[in-house]
Amino acid sequence: MEYALIVLFGLTILYISATSRLEVYINCLFIQGMLLFLLILLTMHDADIPVLLLLILETLGLKAILVPWFLRYIIRSNHIYREAEASLPHFYSVVLTTMIFIFSFFVAWWSTRLPDTPETVYFGVSIAVVLNGLLIILTRHKIITHVMGFMIVENGTFLLSLAVAREMPLIVNLGILLDIFVAVFLLGIMVTRIRSTFEELDIDMLTTLKD
Amino acid sequence: MLQLLLSTPVVLSLLALAFRSKAFNKATLAFFAVFYFFCCLFLVVHPVPASSYFAVDGLNSIFLLLQSVVFLAALLYSIAFLTESGLTEEWQAYYTALMLLFAFCLTGLTLTTHLGLFWVFLEATTLVTTPFIFAEKKRTSLEAAWKYIFICSLGITFAFIGIILLSLGAKSVESLSFPDLYRQATEINSFWLSMAFVFLLVGFGTKAGLAPLHSWLPDAHSEAPPPVSALLSGALLNGALLGILRMLELMNRAGLGQYPRLLLICMGLMSLVICSVYTLKAVNYKRMLAYSSVEHIGIATLAFGVGGAAVLPGLLHLVGHSLAKASLFLSSGNIHHRYKTRDIAGVTGVLSSDPGTGRLWIAGFLMLSAFPPSPLFYSEFLLLKEMLVQRLYIPALMTALLLTLILLSMGSVVFRMAFGGNSSAKAEHSGYLFLIPQIILLAAAAAAGFIPSEFYAFLSRGVFL
Repeated sequence: MEYALIVLFGLTILYISATSRLEVYINCLFIQGMLLFLLILLTMHDADIPVLLLLILETLGLKAILVPWFLRYIIRSNHIYREAEASLPHFYSVVLTTMIFIFSFFVAWWSTRLPDTPETVYFGVSIAVVLNGLLIILTRHKIITHVMGFMIVENGTFLLSLAVAREMPLIVNLGILLDIFVAVFLLGIMVTRIRSTFEELDIDMLTTLKD
Repeated sequence: MLQLLLSTPVVLSLLALAFRSKAFNKATLAFFAVFYFFCCLFLVVHPVPASSYFAVDGLNSIFLLLQSVVFLAALLYSIAFLTESGLTEEWQAYYTALMLLFAFCLTGLTLTTHLGLFWVFLEATTLVTTPFIFAEKKRTSLEAAWKYIFICSLGITFAFIGIILLSLGAKSVESLSFPDLYRQATEINSFWLSMAFVFLLVGFGTKAGLAPLHSWLPDAHSEAPPPVSALLSGALLNGALLGILRMLELMNRAGLGQYPRLLLICMGLMSLVICSVYTLKAVNYKRMLAYSSVEHIGIATLAFGVGGAAVLPGLLHLVGHSLAKASLFLSSGNIHHRYKTRDIAGVTGVLSSDPGTGRLWIAGFLMLSAFPPSPLFYSEFLLLKEMLVQRLYIPALMTALLLTLILLSMGSVVFRMAFGGNSSAKAEHSGYLFLIPQIILLAAAAAAGFIPSEFYAFLSRGVFL
């Protein structure tokens, strides 16, 4: 069951790499948040109540509900629906994503010879998700897509931290939660600001400052 | 005492948001500047027992004292800046509140001994300083703010991956607080520790503006208001470097000191090269100062990489750079206020049009380019000496050549701006509050250069190798 959820998590990334509709990206972020929430319920049921509550807040509250809702609000209020002209055709995007998966699982498999390695499925998928998030940031033009790429990288690191299963003190977790929330919030505000100043949300517009 | 130091700025910032009165903002800034300085001084002189997450030790007391001086100057300058800037009452309240929150985050960053909490505070400093950068709502400021928050947040995520990898290898260690990690350093799996170090170096190095991860720095530092630029260059970069230093000590204790030092030497030299290339064709004086921060952080990193007797000069270099650079950024604010341009070509004859600012501008530059009594003179000299002792001939030669090149090109810009121009124009003096903060900073830097032995004793408490 656990593994099925993680594999589904990986599949959402593959889906994202093959599409250019921003609504789909947001739906995938929602699905990722829900999958992480289910994973928490499956694996962390013996954790302390405050820790569990915090993790539920982070996955269900932040990753599944708040961030997708906020991103959808920004997309609607700024009338952006498509990731126009991806710099990479979808076919190559899917091929690259697949290659990232192969590489990640190779790394995960190779590292099993080391002590204390996390389980291969966890480790492989989380490396792949982080790398794919970076790939999305590198290959897409719209700055709103960069925010989504950032969230995907965050989801990947969250999965990795679940695999390690070492608990941070509550105060640290709380701080991390707050930081991510404020980061996404600020990035969202800036998307709107940039839209009203530049009348365009393309990363190529942000090239005035250079040497 | 630690609780007082951490809670005061938060309470004051909430009050500033609640009152939204110009007089209250200025009073708060003035009070907090003095309060913060004396609190930090007290903590450095009388160390208090460590709490579970915060402590004052030999290393962070240097950073704490340094940032308290920079804050003192920047907050005093802020009072003058708020009076002259014509910001609305609402924005002045935001400015005050964010400044105080920045002080809170930076204090937490310096004082915390827990790696996880260090991460939280480092990311928080990015978030509270972003609004300063896009406050002007111009195209360039929006662009700079976007790059700043996006690149730094992404870098910080890498640092988080590093923390996860470290906790993989440190399963037997009690917690991720530095004292625990240091005590059981040899029990940490060396592969995971090495991997973790690379990720943490990328994460913290992004925030510290080390080449090749510096791309956001010139934009952000040049678009921020002058007091914020001074704090970003003079205090925040050091804070990020503190994380690298703490990790470096962990690597040393685990017996893996060699390869991180090689990485640091490479990044330090690369920072020098990048700065020297830029200053050759500088067009914007604030960007030039920002690039020079990349250079000096690079020199300090180089010193920590060389290790041995070069660590103390590295710390001394951070002290000298922070004070001199903060003063230069504040003076550049005066120049921008008068000439309304950040282009070098648009500024001539600062000395005749505004004698006070002109003199401070030149004095700051001399302090920054290591003319005695600048502490940078000792630090660069000792660093070169230690590099020769360790037979690092090529890096030493590169450092000496690049430093000379940067001195030449920066000097020509600074003097072109200070001299020349229309000497018949009537001289207008900046207000005292626009000059006193720089005098404080330069006096502190000169003091650090004049009384080396006492100051060395203080610094050597933080030396770990």
